[in-house]
Amino acid sequence: MLSPKAEQLIEEYLNLPFLEVPGVRCPYFINSRSKQRAQLRALIGKGLPQEIVEEAKIISIQYHHGIFDCEGKCLITNLPDYDSINPPAKCIKKFLVDNGLGIDCSGFVSHVLREHFKETRKIDIVNKFFFVPIKNSVRYFISWLRPIENMSVKHYASDKNTKKIEAIKDIAPGDLMIMIETGPQKNRNHIILITDNNGQTIKYVHARAWSMEGQYDHGVARGEIRITKPDKPLLNQEWVEFGTINENNETYLEAKNAKVFEVRRIKF
Amino acid sequence: MSFLPFSPNLLQQALLYAILAAMGAFILAPILVRLLLKFKITRSAEYDFTLKGGERLFKVGTPIMGGLLVIIVVTAITLLFNWERSYTYVPIGVMGISAFLGAADDLLNIFGKKRRNRTLPMTLTLIRVHKKWYVRLWYILTLPWTIFQRSTSVLGSHPGKGVLVHEKLLLQFLAGAITAWWIYFKLGPQWHTLWIPFDGFVSLSWWIIPLVIFLVMFTANAVNIADGLDGLAGGSLLITFAGLTAISWIEGRAAFTLLNATVMGALIAYTYFNVKPARFQMGDVGTLGLGALLAINVMAINKTILLPVLGFIFYIEAISVILQVFFRRFLGRRLFKMSPLHHHFEFKGWSEERIVMRFWLIHFFFVLIAIWLSMN
Repeated sequence: MLSPKAEQLIEEYLNLPFLEVPGVRCPYFINSRSKQRAQLRALIGKGLPQEIVEEAKIISIQYHHGIFDCEGKCLITNLPDYDSINPPAKCIKKFLVDNGLGIDCSGFVSHVLREHFKETRKIDIVNKFFFVPIKNSVRYFISWLRPIENMSVKHYASDKNTKKIEAIKDIAPGDLMIMIETGPQKNRNHIILITDNNGQTIKYVHARAWSMEGQYDHGVARGEIRITKPDKPLLNQEWVEFGTINENNETYLEAKNAKVFEVRRIKF
Repeated sequence: MSFLPFSPNLLQQALLYAILAAMGAFILAPILVRLLLKFKITRSAEYDFTLKGGERLFKVGTPIMGGLLVIIVVTAITLLFNWERSYTYVPIGVMGISAFLGAADDLLNIFGKKRRNRTLPMTLTLIRVHKKWYVRLWYILTLPWTIFQRSTSVLGSHPGKGVLVHEKLLLQFLAGAITAWWIYFKLGPQWHTLWIPFDGFVSLSWWIIPLVIFLVMFTANAVNIADGLDGLAGGSLLITFAGLTAISWIEGRAAFTLLNATVMGALIAYTYFNVKPARFQMGDVGTLGLGALLAINVMAINKTILLPVLGFIFYIEAISVILQVFFRRFLGRRLFKMSPLHHHFEFKGWSEERIVMRFWLIHFFFVLIAIWLSMN
């Protein structure tokens, strides 16, 4: 299991801390569309749950959406155009997606791992992290100022930061499944955080968007890999997520189609 | 016209100027409101990102450029009754330049068209690919100007309309430079030193010049930033100029006592019409003009060090914006829910009246401190 604070943080992403509105799952932030520089981290897919919630409230008040009041109370059911078929949580999630709020895979993993390592090893991984390749001193300075925003999948895939785990039995909570050059156009990288391994099941969590979920239903999700053939690699096991198994499971397909698919462990 | 410190005669005259200015402004205010409405110089929601839901939408249609009231009254009374070439002509001139800049910004924001501002990568591309050699040469020669334009645009709240940031900075620099020239060359060697409470004077020599330029620019913009709620900038300026009148009177600086008293009087009428629900709002014409006048009047009585205390709320508001930009751009987080500081409290659910009155009281407290410090 991950540390209690890391687990709590995952729960907050799965159930964003909106006052009186439970069940808002943090949407996935599609970072390939983002062209923003030096922006708030909540607006570039790297925010903490509380920052995403706070930003949603500010956007709502600033641009007159009337979804929240100054105390953070949800007013969505009072709006004249409120669609009573959809519960408030669903409407808020749509609002988050429409306003570019969410979390990307590496941002999510970085925040959770940071909590996990702070509690279990008393270290802050952002201070130990090696940002490769450092192109120039300006990039180094930016990475030093805004480490979480600069911890990308490629950085996690580097031997400077992580080491490869070969055997399924060695996989432990806090390990990472890294996919390089995946997706239909082989232009995306993805990272998944392993939360538990009891020998029969490997549990994981990640921020992702599946095509079957459409424009608004994506976000942070849990899944598991059932170890049916312990002597075979991970891709030969049973991947279960969102009620789907293997070929219907888009996470599995991403892992299968990736140019590089590895399980890696933070070195420090 | 010279007076000893704490002169009852000077105080009597100052009060007369304040009463005269207040009466003049009270008479002029309704006429100004009508004129502003007639020419549709009013607030629109189009570019105002701070208009908050239903609570602030009633402000749409309120006349802006109400600061003209103070500028006109102060200029007229000073020209007629307090025109001392060695003292008052530069403060009034600098206030005029800043007010002119503010007026241009206000009017262009309402009536102007969106102005194109070529980006740096676009200019660099044109330098490489433009088919005419002399156009390429022109872009190369003007490249430093383009870099200046683009680098300053990040300071603007809604760039594209009105006076652009680089133009604003240049004109404010001009106002600051005139002030620095006047203080350094015209007021005499006594002004080359910086007065320090309890400790006497520190010689700054020519370093006073960049300091003066910076303070004029910063203070003008700080007052501009504080003008976001009904009565906030007006009431705070009223408190500041009342304090400044007291300090000038204590120091026995006649021309400035009368000038500050005139501003104070005009601001009484202005604030009367500006408290919620405002009949008009100050606009850049008033904030930039009075901000520059505040800086110059404090420096002219050689109490420069007291400027951040006398203009406490304005400085706090300006610093809140600087900190917010730093946190946002460099750390990716918000320090305040929104800047300037008064919007942070609005987002926390404080009413406009509560923010304004608390800010006034805090400001008044610091102005009292400034007066006490000036006597040490």
